[in-house]
Amino acid sequence: MPLLEVRDLAVAFPTARGTFRAVDGVEMVVEAGEVLCVVGESGSGKSVSMLAAMGLIGWPGRVSAGTLRFDGTDLLTLPPRRRRRLVGRDMAMIFQEPMSSLNPCYPVGWQVGEALRVHHAVPRAEVRGRVVELLGKVGIPAPATRLGAFPHQMSGGMNQRVMIAMAISCNPRLLIADEPTTALDVTIQKQILDLLLGLQRERGMGLVLITHDMGVVAETAQRVQVMYAGQMVEEAPTAELFAAPRHPYTAALLEALPERALGRRRLPTIPGVVPGIADRPGGCLFNPRCRFATPRCLAEVPKLAGPAGRRARCHYPLDAAGRPTGGHPDAAA
Amino acid sequence: MIRFLLRRVALILPTFIGVTLLSFMLIRLVPGDPIEIRFGERGISAERLAELRHEAGFDRPLWRQFVAYEAQVAQGDLGTSVVTHDSVWGEFITLFPATIELSVCAILFAIAIGLPLGVIAAVRRGSVFDYGLMGLSVTGASMPIFWWGLMMILVFSVALGWTPVSGRISDAVYVVPWSGFMLIDAWYSDDAGAVRSALSHLILPTIVLGTIPLATIARMTRSSMLEVLGEDYIRTARAKGLGTLRVVVVHALRNALIPVVTVIGLQVGTLLGGAILTETVFSWPGVGHWLIESIQRRDYPVLQGGTLLVATLVMLVNLGVDLAYGFLNPRIRR
Ligand SMILES: Nc1ncnc2c1ncn2[C@@H]1O[C@H](COP(=O)(O)OP(=O)(O)O)[C@@H](O)[C@H]1O
Ligand SMILES: [Mg+2]
Repeated sequence: MPLLEVRDLAVAFPTARGTFRAVDGVEMVVEAGEVLCVVGESGSGKSVSMLAAMGLIGWPGRVSAGTLRFDGTDLLTLPPRRRRRLVGRDMAMIFQEPMSSLNPCYPVGWQVGEALRVHHAVPRAEVRGRVVELLGKVGIPAPATRLGAFPHQMSGGMNQRVMIAMAISCNPRLLIADEPTTALDVTIQKQILDLLLGLQRERGMGLVLITHDMGVVAETAQRVQVMYAGQMVEEAPTAELFAAPRHPYTAALLEALPERALGRRRLPTIPGVVPGIADRPGGCLFNPRCRFATPRCLAEVPKLAGPAGRRARCHYPLDAAGRPTGGHPDAAA
Repeated sequence: MIRFLLRRVALILPTFIGVTLLSFMLIRLVPGDPIEIRFGERGISAERLAELRHEAGFDRPLWRQFVAYEAQVAQGDLGTSVVTHDSVWGEFITLFPATIELSVCAILFAIAIGLPLGVIAAVRRGSVFDYGLMGLSVTGASMPIFWWGLMMILVFSVALGWTPVSGRISDAVYVVPWSGFMLIDAWYSDDAGAVRSALSHLILPTIVLGTIPLATIARMTRSSMLEVLGEDYIRTARAKGLGTLRVVVVHALRNALIPVVTVIGLQVGTLLGGAILTETVFSWPGVGHWLIESIQRRDYPVLQGGTLLVATLVMLVNLGVDLAYGFLNPRIRR
């Protein structure tokens, strides 16, 4: 049984110009103990889809899904009270901005201990000791002296360590890390990533790592999902994705990697931006930026197709040589 | 924090001089001095009037009168009333508890109702409750106290007969004035009806004086809460699986209170201004009532001394607010 199973997830926000579907048709299966990376440009709906899985989309956002299960429990029909017993205990999440994600009014020790107390994870008398242990575990020096420190008295990297300690405090089976290193100095990024992966291996947690860094993906994940404009456009085992991307968007992302552009004078980029509320095209959402777009792409919405675990949302998925298939005019020529 | 406090304390002296100068000049702009007001109608001779003025020192140049007054105040002497010949400080101390009692009840009333209303409006933003409350609070914050007090008296005292019209306690009850706070004194008196009588006298003035702060606090709480509820750390709190109540009260309210406390503190100045009007409408024997009378009698020492004491009070409260701010917000604590 998969740890997390999401099918047909959609999140809509009402706006002045009508409903905006920030996430539409996201599918995700996370097995216990595996690392899954989710990549995509900013605004492609990575955070929103994961927040939806955690039940953290607040008013006025609306979440709908065909399937949303955690360890076999249907989260869609679970009463909010019961669902909150899972969130923060069995499934935890850390965020992009460590500085603003901690409450400025409370000492970090208290904040780390809060989930332990609320979920009755350890007897009350042992909370303090457990917090010290957790802070030590995430690499905070002299943890016992840091219990009373406030978030503003610590660096971003230290705060992210506190966030991690908080997330793993109740031994979650699934940890969702939403761009945990994006806001940090480059020198700290690697440390935090290694810390997360070390904890994941040690505890056998499922880890969903959101990133827009393909380099991180290559080093960490067993499987990858690529998101674009609120949709999952491709999923693949990491090695296969790097070797032979199926979706033109994935291919473009990979081409933009510096290490793949050796010998070229300029780094290739993907022209344009992710369509936002106002400028979603008809048909395939990637068609304005796709170099293979045909009239069919402008008219017809592509479905996820291909073998399980290796699907792509494209009418003309690329072959191993990077050529469009499926009757694309270029291929015929 | 220490340096911050010292800076605040250093501001007190100029404020004192400014306040006395203002009240000193303004009351002298009103035609007629205390001597004239007291004896003018009895038709005493011009020579006798001049003599009395000379005795009181009102014939000296204004600046000399002012310097003399400041020197006297600097020695801790606020002088005596030219009407009653009692010391200004003594009168103030006797009347002040009545004003505190009314103001404290009004601000407690405003906080007790305004804070929860603001929180609920923020949590249920965009609902009928939210819109209704915000509409009412605009009305409440601009309520003219005189009119509002008279309306309340007309409805609850005159038409319905539920509450007394004026004063602090019924004439039929005798309470030993021990603390000066009627509720406390009534509590310790033997008379069982005393507390009820004191409460029934207090309720309308409390509501009237509390209305403006209530509306202001509700609105400020709402907007502050709205901002805080959108913060990342609220999402973190919910990601721990905390219930809505705990998220709102423990994580959001504590942060949202920081600006609200400042607003509550700033309300104290407004509140004392409002107390003057409320005390007049309800014949509440407090400092406000006393100051209004001192203007009518051109009782210079009372007006100047009373104003100075009230200003001191506002400054002290603002200082207290700054301290509370530092307590609530660890980022400015040192
Ligand atoms: N509360 C919200 N209301 C309206 N739109 C939102 C809200 N949260 C996110 N969005 C929109 O949803 C889209 C996806 O956002 P997000 O998931 O944060 O992207 P990312 O992949 O960078 O994490 C963006 O276009 C963003 O503007
Ligand atoms: Mg994001």
